Parts: sequence; C-alpha cells; structure tokens
Amino acid sequence: MSANEETADFDYEALGLVAGLEIHQQLDTATKLFCQCPTELRDPEAATRTFTRYLHPTRSELGELDDAAVEESKVDREFEYLAYDSTCLVEEDDEPPHELDEEALETTLEVAQLMAMEPVDQAHIMRKIVVDGSNTSGFQRSTLIATDGEIETSEGTVGIEDLLLEEESAQRVAEIDDGVRYSLDRLGIPLVEIGTKPDISSPEQALEAAERIGMLLRSTGKVKRGLGTIRQDVNVSIEEGARVEIKGVQSLDDIDDIVRNEVARQATLVKIADELTECEAAVGDRQDVTDVFEETDSGVIAGALGDGGSVMAVPLYGFDGVVGREIAPDRRLGTELSDHAKRHGAGGIFHTDELPAYGVTADEVEALREAVGVDPEDAVAIVADETEVADAAIEAAGERAETALEGVPEETRGANDDGTTRYLRPLPGAARMYPETDVPPVEPDPSDVPEPELLTEKVERYQDEYDLSSGLAEQVAYGKYMPLFEDVVADGIDPTLAASTLESTLTELRRDDVDVETLTRQHLEDVLGLVDDGELPNEGVTDLLTALATDPDRTAQEAAEEADLGGADEDEVRDAIIDVVERNEAQVEEEGMQAFSGLMGECMGALRGKADGDLVSELLREEIQKRS
Amino acid sequence: MNPGDRVRVDRADRTLEGVLLPSSTDENLVVKLEGGYNVGIDRGEADVEVLAEDVYEIDGTGSNGDDETSEIAFDDDLPTITLISTGGTIASTVDYRTGAVTAQFDAEDVLRAVPDLAGRANYRGRVVANILSENMEPPIWQELAAVVHEEIEAGADGVVVMHGTDTMQYSAAALSFMLETPVPIVFTGSQRSADRPSSDNVMNAVAAVEAAKSDCAEVLVCMHGSESDDICALHRGTRVRKNHTSRRDAFETVGAEPLGAVDYENEAVSFRRDYQERGEADLALESDLEADVELLKFTPGMDPAFLDVVEGSAGLIVEGTGLGHVHTDLIPRIEELIDDGTTVVMTSQCLEGRVCDRVYDTGRDLLEAGVVEAGDTLPGTAKVKLMWALENSADVEEAMGTSLEGELQERSVPWE
Repeated sequence: MSANEETADFDYEALGLVAGLEIHQQLDTATKLFCQCPTELRDPEAATRTFTRYLHPTRSELGELDDAAVEESKVDREFEYLAYDSTCLVEEDDEPPHELDEEALETTLEVAQLMAMEPVDQAHIMRKIVVDGSNTSGFQRSTLIATDGEIETSEGTVGIEDLLLEEESAQRVAEIDDGVRYSLDRLGIPLVEIGTKPDISSPEQALEAAERIGMLLRSTGKVKRGLGTIRQDVNVSIEEGARVEIKGVQSLDDIDDIVRNEVARQATLVKIADELTECEAAVGDRQDVTDVFEETDSGVIAGALGDGGSVMAVPLYGFDGVVGREIAPDRRLGTELSDHAKRHGAGGIFHTDELPAYGVTADEVEALREAVGVDPEDAVAIVADETEVADAAIEAAGERAETALEGVPEETRGANDDGTTRYLRPLPGAARMYPETDVPPVEPDPSDVPEPELLTEKVERYQDEYDLSSGLAEQVAYGKYMPLFEDVVADGIDPTLAASTLESTLTELRRDDVDVETLTRQHLEDVLGLVDDGELPNEGVTDLLTALATDPDRTAQEAAEEADLGGADEDEVRDAIIDVVERNEAQVEEEGMQAFSGLMGECMGALRGKADGDLVSELLREEIQKRS
Repeated sequence: MNPGDRVRVDRADRTLEGVLLPSSTDENLVVKLEGGYNVGIDRGEADVEVLAEDVYEIDGTGSNGDDETSEIAFDDDLPTITLISTGGTIASTVDYRTGAVTAQFDAEDVLRAVPDLAGRANYRGRVVANILSENMEPPIWQELAAVVHEEIEAGADGVVVMHGTDTMQYSAAALSFMLETPVPIVFTGSQRSADRPSSDNVMNAVAAVEAAKSDCAEVLVCMHGSESDDICALHRGTRVRKNHTSRRDAFETVGAEPLGAVDYENEAVSFRRDYQERGEADLALESDLEADVELLKFTPGMDPAFLDVVEGSAGLIVEGTGLGHVHTDLIPRIEELIDDGTTVVMTSQCLEGRVCDRVYDTGRDLLEAGVVEAGDTLPGTAKVKLMWALENSADVEEAMGTSLEGELQERSVPWE
C-alpha cells in the first residue's frame, strides 16, 4: 500500500497534527532593503563582473555556534558571484548596508495591520547566519517588525506569531567545480516572512490559511508577482513525531498534499521505530568491504573502486525489510539514509532490501552479508566512493538509521515537486542570530499606515461600482495589474475598457505568443489614454499592444503612428466605406439595408482597427441609404 | 534584573520572553527572544519579571563559555611567528554600549577565531594595544616597535601585526623607519569585521603568516589584492595607502605595482622587485620621534591663519596642489616659519607623481623660502618620516629628499 492511499484514512485530530506556515513574499519596492539598487531580476548573461569568496562560520554574541551552519561549513566550498550594472558594493559585501528601506518598512507595517499584529517598539536588525553562499556576507539580515496577530479560516482562528522583514538571498545559478555560482540581482530584494502559530490542525486548513495570507499580502498592491516571488515553508509535527520544517513549497496548491505526506511519513516512522524497538534492532560499526566488490559488474561501485575508492558498509541489525519500507510516495527509509549520505558528498547508498540490483549480484550480496557478519533478519547499507567520502557518508547513513530506532528526527526538509520532501539539514537554532551592527535599530511608526482594501472587498466593489462581471472583477482584483487598473480608473479611464484590456486582451495576446511581459506600465497607461482621448478606437487596442510588445522601445504614440492605427478622420473612414460599398454595388442595390451586417465586417477589416465601430456603422448606413 | 537574566516582559497586550541583553539606551530594554531575534521595548511601558538569573554570562568579551586553550604543542620543524594585536576589525566583537563593533580580542583569541592559522607556525602572542586604529598615537608606535624588537631578539622568525585598517599605513611607515630588521614584519587587518562569515580576516591572516615566513625582511602590509578571495597583495609599508573606505582591496601601493603577492590557493609568496632579504640587516631599534609635526592640506580659500597654529612647531608637511604649490600669498608666512626653525616639507595632494618646485614661479619662490621637497613620498608617510628624521637624522633636509626605506622612488617608472 502506498503512503498516499494510507493518508486518506488518517484521523488528524487523533494523531495530534500540529502545523504552522512560514510565508515568504517579495515586496515590489523601488530599491533594495539596504541599498539603492533596483529590485529587478537579470539574465546571468548580462553579468558585468564575477568574483569568488569563501565563508567561515562565526559565533553568535552569546558565544554559540549554530549546528546547521557548522554542518554546512564542513563542506569547504568556493562561491562565485555574478554582479551587474544594477548591483553595487553592498550586495558584494564590500560596503556597509545603507539604512533600512522606508518603503519596505511601510509595506510591512501595512501587512502587520491586515493581520491585526502589534509592531515592536524598536526593531533590531539581526544577522541570521547562512553559510551556503546564498548571502555574500554569510548571513541574511532579518528584522522582527511585529508579533501577535491572527487570521480567520473556516476551521477557526490561526494566530500569527511574527512578521519579519528580511533581505532576499542570491539566486543559485549553477554548480561549479568545488562550489556554487550565485547571481546578485535577487540579493537584497525586501521580503516579508509571516510565521503562523502552530494552530493549524488539518491539511485543508493549512491550504486555506496560506491562501488567506496570500490574499492579504496582495491586497497591499505592493508585493512582487510571478514565479518565485512567494515561497511557503510548512512546519509539521504529530504527537509522537517531531517538528519538521519543510522549505520551499513553490506552489500554494501543494500545501495540503505536503502536510498529508508529512503526516504519513511521520506516522510510518513512528511505526517503524516501534517495530525496531520490539526486535531490539541496532546499528553496528562501519567497516571496509571493498574486497567483496573487487570483481563487481556494478558500474557505480566499479567506478568508485577504479578511482582508488572504497566500499564502506554498516550493519543494520533487525532492519531487514525495514530499510526498503515506503514512508512517502516513492520514498523509503533507505532514501532518508541516502539523503544523509549525499550531504557528505556521496552519490547515495545501496542497501540489502533493494539488492541484488544495479549490477550487484546475489552472490555479492551473500558475500557482503558474510563479510559484515549479519543474519537474515538484518540489513546492510553500503556506500562506494572516494575512501574519505565513503567513510563520512556511511557514518551519516548509520547515524540516521540509529535515529530510526527513536522515531522522527527534528530536521529541515526540502519540498520536492511531487509533494514529497527530502532531508536538507538540522533545524537551525537561535544560535545563528547575531545583531547587525552596521544598521541602527528603527522604531516602526504604525500611525500613518494606510489600511488597504482587501482583494475580496475589491471584487465586490468592482461589480457594484464599475459594473464588471464577477469573473472579470475577480481577475482584475487578483491579477498583477490591479494597482494599474485602480490608477487608470482614478484618472477617468472607463473601468470596463481598462479591465477588459488588462485581463482579457492581454490574456488573448499571451495565448497568441505575444510577449506581453515586455509591455511597461507606461505602455499600458498610454494605450488606454489614447482610447480615452478618442485617438485610438477600441478595435485598435489589440494591434497596438502587439506592435508595442514586438518593439517595446517605442512609445504608444509612436507605435500607433508607425502602424497607422487610429487617427483615421471621418473623411478617410468614409472613403474606405465607399470603396467597400462600391465593390459590392450589386448586393447593396438588391438587399438594401439587409446588406449592412455583411458589409460592416468588411469595412472594419478594411480599416484594420483605425476607426471606431460606432462611426463606421453610422457612415456605412448613410452610404447604403444613398444607394438603395 | 541584569543582562543575562531570562525575563518575561509584559507590555500592553503582549508578553515577550527572552534573555535580557545590555541595552544601548535608557529608553529601551533589549531582549533576545527564543528564536534569536532581538527587540527593543519601551522601559516605561514594560513590566519585567525575572524568571531565572544569569542564564548567560554576558561580560562583553564575547568569549564566554569558552574553555578551549590556545596552547599548541611546539613543532621544531615550523618557524616561530609572533602575532601582535593592536585591536581593530580583525579582532573585534560587538560592543553593547554603542551597538558598534569594537576591538576586544587578544592574540590567542585571534588563533581561536582563525583556526586556519594552526599548523603553519609556532605562535607567540602579544598584545600591545586594544584600540580602534583611528585612536592610534605615536607613543604606541614606539611601544609596538619595542615589542617587535623584543620578539625578534627572542628568536621570532617573523612578526605579524594585527592592526585596524584606518591608520595601518602610518604605523607601518613608523616601524619601517624605526626598525632595522632581519625578518619580515607584516601588518594585516580586515575591512569586513571578524564577526561575519565573509570577513576577510581569515585569508588576510593566513597570507600574512605566509609572508612573515618568507624571505623578505621588510615592513609589509598584507591585505586583499582583489575583491575575490584569491590573492593578497604585499605592499611596502612606506608606499601603501588605504584608497577605499570599505572594499576588501582598499590598500594599494601608490606609484607602482605592489611589491609582492600571496596566492591563497597554493600559498605561494612571490615578489616583483628586489627586496631586503632575510638576515641581510642586523636588528636595530631607533624609535625616538619628534611629536610636534603637523600635516596641512592646502585648498583654495584656506585661511592663512591656519599657518599660525603651527608657529614654533618642529616640522610641517604641506600637502600642496599639483607639482607642490600653495597660494602665492602664503609664501611669506611660510618663509617666516622656516626662519623661525620649522622644517617645512612639500608633498603633493595628487599622490601619484613627484613634486617639482622648479617649474613655476610659485614653486621657485617656495624653494627660495626654504621649503624642502619630498619627491614622490606620500604625504602621510612624509609626516611620519619627518617625525623620525628630526630625532634620528644628522641632516633632516637631506634625509627628506632621499629614500631611506623605499618611501621615495628615485625613478618614476610608468606602471599602468
């Protein structure tokens, strides 16, 4: 039975499910959190310089070292950074940070207000030690801005523990020899992190709470949109399990599945622990079993031995059948052991529950069991790699097996695309926090913070005030052009025109493979303005936007002139209509006004959006009348 | 209620628990919450209850709970390097009073902070001062020179001086003039504080120790040679200048390529030009200084009364414009100072290139008045040199026009 089928039967209350969310949302500010650089993403190809660095973990001001940072730094890695004409020395950690960006602080206070949170008296900028290279400084600057809020869900109130204002990390571009390449464009973009209290008690409530928080964030109209601009972390535990932080859930829709799978994983691990305890399972000492595989046909093992490496084994007494047990869809206890081995540079492990396979023969498995000295109820895990790597990796795998005797380990896991998770590192502790001495504390002043209208309220208002259909109203309110829509409507643009252009028209163009992302806010504003001023007929909007998207360096006015869109005066329109009418003289004479609808289409086609439909219709009627 | 206590703070509708930290103001309590975040709370509004006393020992040294010892077994095969701490960013931690970073480690702590130094040498640690380098003063140069002298006499095969970067170039110049040395004396520091994982202190310290083990028995400054962690440049102590406020590669040799470099990856030390070799000179110390020397930068609109301040001084370095000029109207006053016994030395605020007061009338008038030219000596170095020369040179004017420690290049060789 797969873990997935099992999940349907879980009684989450009985299991004591406790879940919390951490939502990370980038803010759409003009400049970064601690410098005056723009918050725009770049193509790595556009990099103007590169430089390389190493990082070394440091102690907190209370004299402690963080476990996660220490584990990360065991791997001595070189980090290469890509810098751009849109980044500066602050991102390069070669200039002290400037003061905290005011715009970002204001937006954060707006978010605090939407969640009924209490801002702190004095916000201290902290350094959260992160030595994986994603921050040039070796830490992420993070500030606690507010605490003690709440949001509503249909299953009850969910408390909001804290609201942090942080800097976004650098984007990982590629793995390189001995290290990682990062791009500095993203580093320093303001980010709010919202942490809920562990008040969530079902997978569905987790999803609903995440959606609610997402809606509140977007209601400010000041958050970034699109892939990667929002990330969800989920903390899950069941009563007999342990707190597990799951990082980087990219899609909101996956949250309930992630929670379900994690509950299943923890429940299965608890069951495994019970079984192992019952049969007095144990983990033995690791040993070198290279001799067993001298003649092997297994490509992985032969490859490692060919390079002068070793095969290391660890006996897992009483584990037979357990290492291969599925604990999440397509993931076994052995996969967990393998994740730990990978952290130490190995490609993974093999274990006797899955052997013979991968070129390892039944005879070799027998010889392995004999060499290690285990009975049929025992299992063996092996790692083949450079001797040093294999040794560290098998030790890590053995330690993880040892933990299986106790149940669920507390840890940080990463979300996979299929709704499962993988081991990342130990849970970070308070020891990774150090005050940011380069930036003075700030005193948040919530008195002037505007209370934004919620998106749910906007949907209602667009229908009531602007007469938009509920579908279009929702599209606009939740869409990324919502702030633009509100601005142009305030400037007197017809709401229906604005809404249908920004949602329907752009969606159609996108479907036709027009690169609408190149259109700037100015472009869209100007196109709507041209229509409003009567300089461009409604019918010309699609063509003009297409022309602009193809060559976005032009203004809307220039593109309209070049494409000869709009601006057709009455005489031109009449001439075009006369052409059409004369071409169809026989039909007009015969059918009279009956010919109107057929000819109207032809006229509009001939004018290709240069004239307003009402005018064409009026003139066409006149011309038909003259001739019938 | 003391820093280090675990406390519960009630403030309006909210309760916060955490460890009380030393606060930087009277208005705010600073509490470290469970998650590690610090927050400030209005003292007036807060109700504080102490839950447990002295949960953390916060003595401001930042090294509590640390019983590790830095005593490392002596290895006969390794050279002995003395690490001298004067404070500064390379050995700094948080100062709770100001919230800023301050210097508080001794040399042993540096070893602890930079484990990468282990196994490269046998180390001796000395602390000469514990100051930020902007607070450096000539008497500390003298003390520093004396300690270096002592250490070399005691058998050190090289000396590394950990120094704040702001005035490192002055201290390096001072030791260049004060000491004849048979072993390398290498200054190093860091531009980014040691409390950050990205600090340049590890690489700079490692490279400085490698340079101190090398064959170049001069006073050197060893700092990052680029923005990357790849190369440290070795600068002659009398030609080096901090040319950027914050970059790792702020230090540059003016008017030439750096004397040498240390490759961080393969730890090779290399040199571009001739240098004084290990053992070539006999150890000697001449550390007397004339304290009454000033450096004056001339700018348009300068109040001539500025010159009154230095009346009666033993020496004055003028940082003139261009080839070495000041406003013509100032010349008679300068002549008076010289007649009164002040040695007036001309340098240029161009920094690159040598002064030449024979080209224009103003210059010729300055020479006429008795001003001494310092060639291409850097203004800061010239000040230190004049302080030293006034006490130790038979002919000060001749000394200021001659290279004693590589501070004055006889030939201007284009290098870029």
